[in-house]
Amino acid sequence: PGRFELVSEHLVQLDRMAEESITFLYGINTSARLFHMNDRNIHVQGLSNLSRSGFKLSQNFSLLRMSDLRSGKKHSSVGFRLCNSTGGNCFYKTYSSGMDAILEWYRFHYMNIMSQLPVIINISQHEEQIEDMVYSCQYDGEPCRPSDYVHFHHPVFGSCYTFNSKGTDPFWTATKPGIPYGLSLILRAEQKDHIPLLSTVAGVKVMIHNHNQTPFLEHEGFDIRPGIATTIGIQQDEVNRLGGNYGKCTTNGDDVDVKLLYNNSYTLQACLHSCFQHIMVQECGCGYYYYPLPAGAQYCDYNKQPAWGHCFYQLYNRLRNHHLNCFDQCPKPCRESLYKVSAGTAKWPSAKSQDWVRQALRHQNGYNSTSNRKDIAKVTIFYQQLNYQAVNESPLLSENLLLSSMGSQWSLWFGSSVLSVVEMFELLVDTLVLSLLFCYQRLRAKKTLRVSPTIPSVSLALEN
Amino acid sequence: AATAPGKKITARLKRTLPVRGPQAPTLSELMRWYCLNTNTHGCRRIVVSRGRLRRLLWILLTLSAVGLILWQCAELLMNYYSASVSVTVQFQKLPFPAVTICNINPYKYSAMKEYLSELDKETKKALETFYGFSEGKSKVRRSVDEWNSTESDFFQQIPLLKVEDFSRTATDLHSGQKRKIEGSVFHKDSSIVNSGDSNDIIGFQLCDANNSSDCALYTFSSGVNAIQEWYKLHYMNIMAQIPLETKEKLSYSADDLLLTCFFDGLSCDKRHFTRFHHPLHGNCYTFNSGENGTILSTSTGGSEYGLQVVLYIDEADYNPFLVTSTGAKIIVHDQNEYPFIEDIGTEIETAAATSIGMHFTRSRKLSKPYSDCTETGADIPVENLYNKSYSLQICLHSCFQKAMVHSCGCAQYAQPLPAGAEYCNYKKNPNWMYCYYRLHEKFVKEQLGCQQICKDACSFKEWALTTSIAQWPSTVSEDWMLRVLSWDKGQKLNKKLNKTDLANLMVFYKDLNERFISENPANTLVILLSNFGGQLGLWMSCSVVCVIEIVEVFFIDSLSIVMRRQWQKAKKWWNDRKQGSSGKAPQASDVERQGHDNPVCIDEDLPTFTTALRLPLPQDSPLPRTPPPNYSTLRLETAFTEQLPDTLELGQH
Repeated sequence: PGRFELVSEHLVQLDRMAEESITFLYGINTSARLFHMNDRNIHVQGLSNLSRSGFKLSQNFSLLRMSDLRSGKKHSSVGFRLCNSTGGNCFYKTYSSGMDAILEWYRFHYMNIMSQLPVIINISQHEEQIEDMVYSCQYDGEPCRPSDYVHFHHPVFGSCYTFNSKGTDPFWTATKPGIPYGLSLILRAEQKDHIPLLSTVAGVKVMIHNHNQTPFLEHEGFDIRPGIATTIGIQQDEVNRLGGNYGKCTTNGDDVDVKLLYNNSYTLQACLHSCFQHIMVQECGCGYYYYPLPAGAQYCDYNKQPAWGHCFYQLYNRLRNHHLNCFDQCPKPCRESLYKVSAGTAKWPSAKSQDWVRQALRHQNGYNSTSNRKDIAKVTIFYQQLNYQAVNESPLLSENLLLSSMGSQWSLWFGSSVLSVVEMFELLVDTLVLSLLFCYQRLRAKKTLRVSPTIPSVSLALEN
Repeated sequence: AATAPGKKITARLKRTLPVRGPQAPTLSELMRWYCLNTNTHGCRRIVVSRGRLRRLLWILLTLSAVGLILWQCAELLMNYYSASVSVTVQFQKLPFPAVTICNINPYKYSAMKEYLSELDKETKKALETFYGFSEGKSKVRRSVDEWNSTESDFFQQIPLLKVEDFSRTATDLHSGQKRKIEGSVFHKDSSIVNSGDSNDIIGFQLCDANNSSDCALYTFSSGVNAIQEWYKLHYMNIMAQIPLETKEKLSYSADDLLLTCFFDGLSCDKRHFTRFHHPLHGNCYTFNSGENGTILSTSTGGSEYGLQVVLYIDEADYNPFLVTSTGAKIIVHDQNEYPFIEDIGTEIETAAATSIGMHFTRSRKLSKPYSDCTETGADIPVENLYNKSYSLQICLHSCFQKAMVHSCGCAQYAQPLPAGAEYCNYKKNPNWMYCYYRLHEKFVKEQLGCQQICKDACSFKEWALTTSIAQWPSTVSEDWMLRVLSWDKGQKLNKKLNKTDLANLMVFYKDLNERFISENPANTLVILLSNFGGQLGLWMSCSVVCVIEIVEVFFIDSLSIVMRRQWQKAKKWWNDRKQGSSGKAPQASDVERQGHDNPVCIDEDLPTFTTALRLPLPQDSPLPRTPPPNYSTLRLETAFTEQLPDTLELGQH
């Protein structure tokens, strides 16, 4: 991501602080020891242009080095301390490698700074145009039209562009498979503006996804290396799940309890993020910067919520260990398209051609790099085959098949049908009624026997 | 007065009862009526058949049929419900596979110096003489001279040759001698490559030590391949003599290889890795090997939740002849699987971040009657030399190793040792290389029978990988990161790390979708029987009971009737003979003509009872007929009683 002018002062402050920490931790060759920074909050000077926010960089969370006593002096870890609002229940977020610790620490501060950015600001106003990022765009041999892309702001990567996001334009229908008929882009991958401590890799992230789906570039993005031409062949796979008794899945996300914060179609990842953000707002009182905000909430900032880091990391741990029920609440989508990606790379531009390529780019796009070869990249995305594989779940034994098999079994062993079963039932009923009648008559007979015992004896006497 | 309404009710009940049977509504009557009228065959037969044994048999048959129906239907129902349930049990947490990471270079070159210095010197010299290639200029001159004077061990063992294809002569590059090629020539490269200019083919010759005329020449179109292959042969000889403990020390330690480690958002270190010594790749480290009983799993897909490691690859300490590429090799496999790094490893680059997305597929084949696969490998006559679960690859390697030990007397270096064998080296087995190449040739041509013995495993797990590469470290972050990492690495390494010595690797699940492919038998017994029953019912409205009925009527009953008739005939014949021997009875042939129905005398005779009533004449009368009296009523009566016992009996009934 680029640096925003509004918060650039803070970022400079943060960079300075990071540099101090690094020299403190590594420049001075101290043995492992525990130290505390003074609990002082430095008012960042020269922030007159941002007086309304009154943001200050907290030094409560400084990087520490601590020795792991159990494993001896060889294992020292670096981390930072997080406490809850009352100052108790502290824990250290430690890493065995200083690099990871610094990156995480920087990210933590960065989130705080970025939360200052008012959401309402039309970000694209402050950002580069597509021409700054994409030098050339061709699809199916024809140049792209300016209306073909959608710009959006990604919290991690800054400005991103989506081509053919709606999927309705006939211009973008794939007619033929093969490299010449795919999407070909020349991209700028300049590293000058990179924030050195936020991301250590250089290049461009590309993600191939469905229409109307929020791209989670940080999870599924494909890296493009500067100075390299990457050819990405894609092949579509479709998965259809049965749902119902056969496994939980949702057709469009309407029946899921979690309210989606992304206004795109349902995906598992979007649901998980939304679920986490809702819990975060509920428990910590503020939203995680990298996920979108629910209505009425605001992003976390340790000037307003000093303990959010503590709350967040613990919550995040619970999510990871499946103690939050987000995984139960978010079913998989019943219908999913996956793109299988395979890529080949080549050096680009070649040593012979790079001069004229640069010249052309400079002339047309105001590209003003001098000699550094590694700041442009070329990507071609094409269909390997126009047919797609569909994986459908089907029940092993449907109701139909079950009934017919059962009928067949009956007829095989017994030569009968449902009607004979009904017949049997009738017999049962008959037997029951008859036996009842029989009992009744027996009872009656006993009664009559008891009432007139004398008559037979009299008749006997007569016969005699 | 009290009994009158009761009687009325009874009468009414009797009238309106659903009993459709005979009017006398006793239970036995009802049952009888039911059994006679139902269309289930069994019940009918119980009532109809006569004789206690037969009735008992039919009762048994009917009951067993009912039992079978209940059993089979219960099975069907259980199948129906279990199939629908088994899909739902899907915890959305996938076990993370084991990830084995190796440096491409097996052993530290600096540590290997004492073992390899001789060989390296020879190789360098060979390169100089072939290509005029030189490293340190003045030193080379001298060493060339030196070389010519001393006799080289390595070149004696396997001479490197320059081959002229057409003249079938070869020049020994070491001594400059020309020699005629005997035996067969094997081209290791396709003939298309070297068809154009065959004047510069380099190869080496392997001879049978016992019979020096039996030689095979292996040629390569490129000198690079020839020298590498030649070097590898010698290298394996040398390595085979070094014990395992020493080799482990010569290779990289976990601290050497791993700089940082991060898994599922948490920090990890070398305790999460298990060392595993691979004969060709030295020390490899397996993440999540499941050795301490726990297998890690990831909660969500995405690169943040996978394994992230930074590897230290000391490019300066690489063996220049053995490996020509720099980086690390990784393989994703199941905890029970043996990692075949040399066969299916993925190579990763230095100074780059390689992210590997995984997609998990589990497949299951049906075993024996359906396809030729093996469940555990226990039924395959090849001993599993790797103490991991069976796979086709393991079987093939084990089979080859066994054949190698059997025919060459020693074991190949790249595969584990069978019991009682030892690795080949040419001090003990001077012949092994020739033997090995011959055997390998046979193995590839499927003449060893390994491919026929070894079968596929029935169930296997597969991780499909998608690899993408980004530049790492980026130019702006390079500075601070290298500094931090150098500090992490510790003081013992004084120099600052170079970015070409580092590789960043991320292994993660792209999504937590698990694809499970399983074969199901198309015809289980239940379904087979169902189909059978369906066909029988559809076309004949018949069942097994009905089949038994058919058997009873058409075979047992008709046979018994025929048998009875035959018995009676036999009895009559016996009686005849008895009477014939006493001299009383007339000839059997006269019987027909002696009665009153003899056509000769029928006209003269008075009408008898039989003719008057036009009753059918008893034919085949078994009794001898006496000459007709004036009235033959007595004889007729006996004839009837003899002839129709069934009808009489029925009448009595």
